[in-house]
Amino acid sequence: MGVLSRAYRNISRRKIRALLVILALSFSMSILISIPAGITANQTATQNLTVNLSETIARTEASINQALTQIECSLTPSFEGFGFSPPPSGNFQRPENIADNFMPGQFGGGRVPGQFGGGPFGGRGNVAMNETLYTDIKSISGVAAVVPILEVSQGENQTIEMFGRSFTRMVPNYIIEGIPLTSLVDSYPILPTNITAGRNLQPGDSGVVLLSENNTRFFNAGVGDKIEILGQTFEVVGVYGSTGVSDVMTLYMNLTDAQTVTNNVGYITSLLVFTNDSSSVSDVAAALNSLHPELNVVTAQQRLDQLNDMRERYTAELQNAQTTLSQTQATALQEIVVVVAATSLIVLFVMLYTVRERTKEIGTLKAIGFSNRNILSQFVLEGIMLSAVAGVVGIAIGTIAAPFISSILIPTVNPIGNVVLRVGTGITPAVNVVTVDPQLMLMTFGASILLGMLGSLYPAWRASKIRPAEAMRYE
Amino acid sequence: MSETVLKVEGVTKVYTLGKRNVHALSNLNLQVKKGEFVAIMGPSGSGKTTLLNILGCIDKPTSGKVILDNVGVADLPEAELYKIRRNKIGFVFQSFNLLPYLNARENVELPMENNGKSKNERQSKAKELLAMVGLSGREEHRPQRLSAGEQQRVAIARALANDPAIILADEPTGNLDNKNKQEIVKLLANLNLTQGTTIILVTHDGQVASRTERILFLSDGKITREKNGLHLANKLMCPNCGNKLPTTEAKCPNCGSISNIKEPSNSLFEEEVAED
Ligand SMILES: Nc1ncnc2c1ncn2[C@@H]1O[C@H](COP(=O)(O)OP(=O)(O)OP(=O)(O)O)[C@@H](O)[C@H]1O
Ligand SMILES: [Mg+2]
Repeated sequence: MGVLSRAYRNISRRKIRALLVILALSFSMSILISIPAGITANQTATQNLTVNLSETIARTEASINQALTQIECSLTPSFEGFGFSPPPSGNFQRPENIADNFMPGQFGGGRVPGQFGGGPFGGRGNVAMNETLYTDIKSISGVAAVVPILEVSQGENQTIEMFGRSFTRMVPNYIIEGIPLTSLVDSYPILPTNITAGRNLQPGDSGVVLLSENNTRFFNAGVGDKIEILGQTFEVVGVYGSTGVSDVMTLYMNLTDAQTVTNNVGYITSLLVFTNDSSSVSDVAAALNSLHPELNVVTAQQRLDQLNDMRERYTAELQNAQTTLSQTQATALQEIVVVVAATSLIVLFVMLYTVRERTKEIGTLKAIGFSNRNILSQFVLEGIMLSAVAGVVGIAIGTIAAPFISSILIPTVNPIGNVVLRVGTGITPAVNVVTVDPQLMLMTFGASILLGMLGSLYPAWRASKIRPAEAMRYE
Repeated sequence: MSETVLKVEGVTKVYTLGKRNVHALSNLNLQVKKGEFVAIMGPSGSGKTTLLNILGCIDKPTSGKVILDNVGVADLPEAELYKIRRNKIGFVFQSFNLLPYLNARENVELPMENNGKSKNERQSKAKELLAMVGLSGREEHRPQRLSAGEQQRVAIARALANDPAIILADEPTGNLDNKNKQEIVKLLANLNLTQGTTIILVTHDGQVASRTERILFLSDGKITREKNGLHLANKLMCPNCGNKLPTTEAKCPNCGSISNIKEPSNSLFEEEVAED
């Protein structure tokens, strides 16, 4: 009959009380495990967001540096003339095959049949441009090459259920990028470079496509397979790797193929103008502006400026996220202090009550030769046993309910137990689920033992100081 | 004379109640020899419990000396006292004070727990003691399944666990009916005779006191009177020197002569029990 089994018997002697105490303690232990779980999710999310952000900025920077001699020209989608107003003036002709109510220049305009999305909300307008109107650009002095590009999104309207509401939006399945497959592709950075399977597109290719990894999943096809795009069959010659964290949906094909298959013969959506050297970029851009005022001319410099703006904005938002994190951590710390105090107070009062109730027993034990230390360890052990059992129960509850519990206690955790952090639209949001890992379980168990000890130390000390003569007298 | 196991010299105990001083014991002297069976009587508040608590090292005298088994215990610190209580003293209480969540054997094992004995040694010693107090077969019963008399037997077995120099019993029969009272006194008397256990019991009950060999009357914190009890008749006398033999030892501790050992009659108790 050791001190351990005596402790166990004493606890199980008053079953209802033990149950209630363990219940209360496991409740606080489940909170104790959920708070760090929530904070860890928040920390990881902030870290991931930082990584996502710096990756995006680095990627954009690299592509800009690579294309310092590049000028991008496209038509600006206009917000003027909502509804059925006539197209704005300018040397612009609408393609014959565009329905009347989809005139370029209208809200949501510039939609080429068979094309979804684009419009005023996209980065590039994807407004159809008549190819023949821009042949004069080549003759601007300093221009080395002009690459016409047609970009058409293919997708479908989807209804999404979210928090009990439904939203309809266009979800692109893939984006066709028509590139003139001439010697230009060898000299200028137009095609993707990181080929992961098969080969890249080559000058003279036709009837073939270069897919992104995302595309291979959508078409369920790989190198050598035939896929059907808008009723026409193409052979997959290569796959390129994703350049960043977000999935890339763009597939590349010959411009002529793209124009044919999307029913856009003679039309493009942008022009890439390459200058002889980076010093002549601004002169060429100015000349482009005066020659074609309707064009939106973006140079690499401008994009660099935009990037810097973006970086500034994102850095501010990231700092915001970090501030939120440290505020959340401070809140969590306060909550932990409260829970720790509550837990040890529960143990304290329960054990004080027990000691009081068992004064006679303690007096007897001392009278028959138990030392103060024997008594002390007996009661500390009982306190630890209570809270350790509660610890196990609390950990079990916490493992299941941590996402929910932490959503109540930690402001950055949403009701389904996720921490979602986003900065702007271009960056993949960081999403982290609140989980309880084995290390946290172990630490919580350790904490439960520690709190049991902490809470029972004073009552046990009181017990050890009980004077047997008095304990017997006032039984 | 045989060996003195307990010597109390000039013990005074003063309790302070607010501004008032209560002299529970005043300059009390007492000697108890090894193997004696002593009763302390006295009116309520005369200091019986106080004296017993001081003898049992759970209370300290205000002044005076207490020498237990040749150790002066009055000035020992708590760090030493608990060992004295564990090894030299066996307490028997009026309300038994068994731990309700332990069975009889486990209760008897309690004092042995911190004594370096193995689990097996503790268990067999506990069973042996329970058999001695007449509770064979009841080892695994918890106190609530035992009668009051049986509970006090378990308490006596527990008091004997570490072979103490002295058993101190404060009103051991105070919570018992007449039949159980007789049996407990008989048990104590038998232990005294057959094991040579030194016993001091406190009682209000003249009948119980008369079953001991020496009755001390306490009044206002002093021993005022002393009287022989009936138990003396059960004790053996050394045929050589007339000394009272403490046990069934074959050799007189006083003169060293070999005595004629006869079993005590115990007729006294049988008569009394039969009376009820
Ligand atoms: N802790 C204490 N504080 C103050 N006075 C006390 C204390 N303990 C005992 N006394 C007093 O000391 C005196 C002796 O008490 P004690 O308990 O020894 O008497 P007793 O002979 O055992 O009485 P009873 O027969 O009623 O048990 C009493 O007057 C009592 O009130
Ligand atoms: Mg008393």
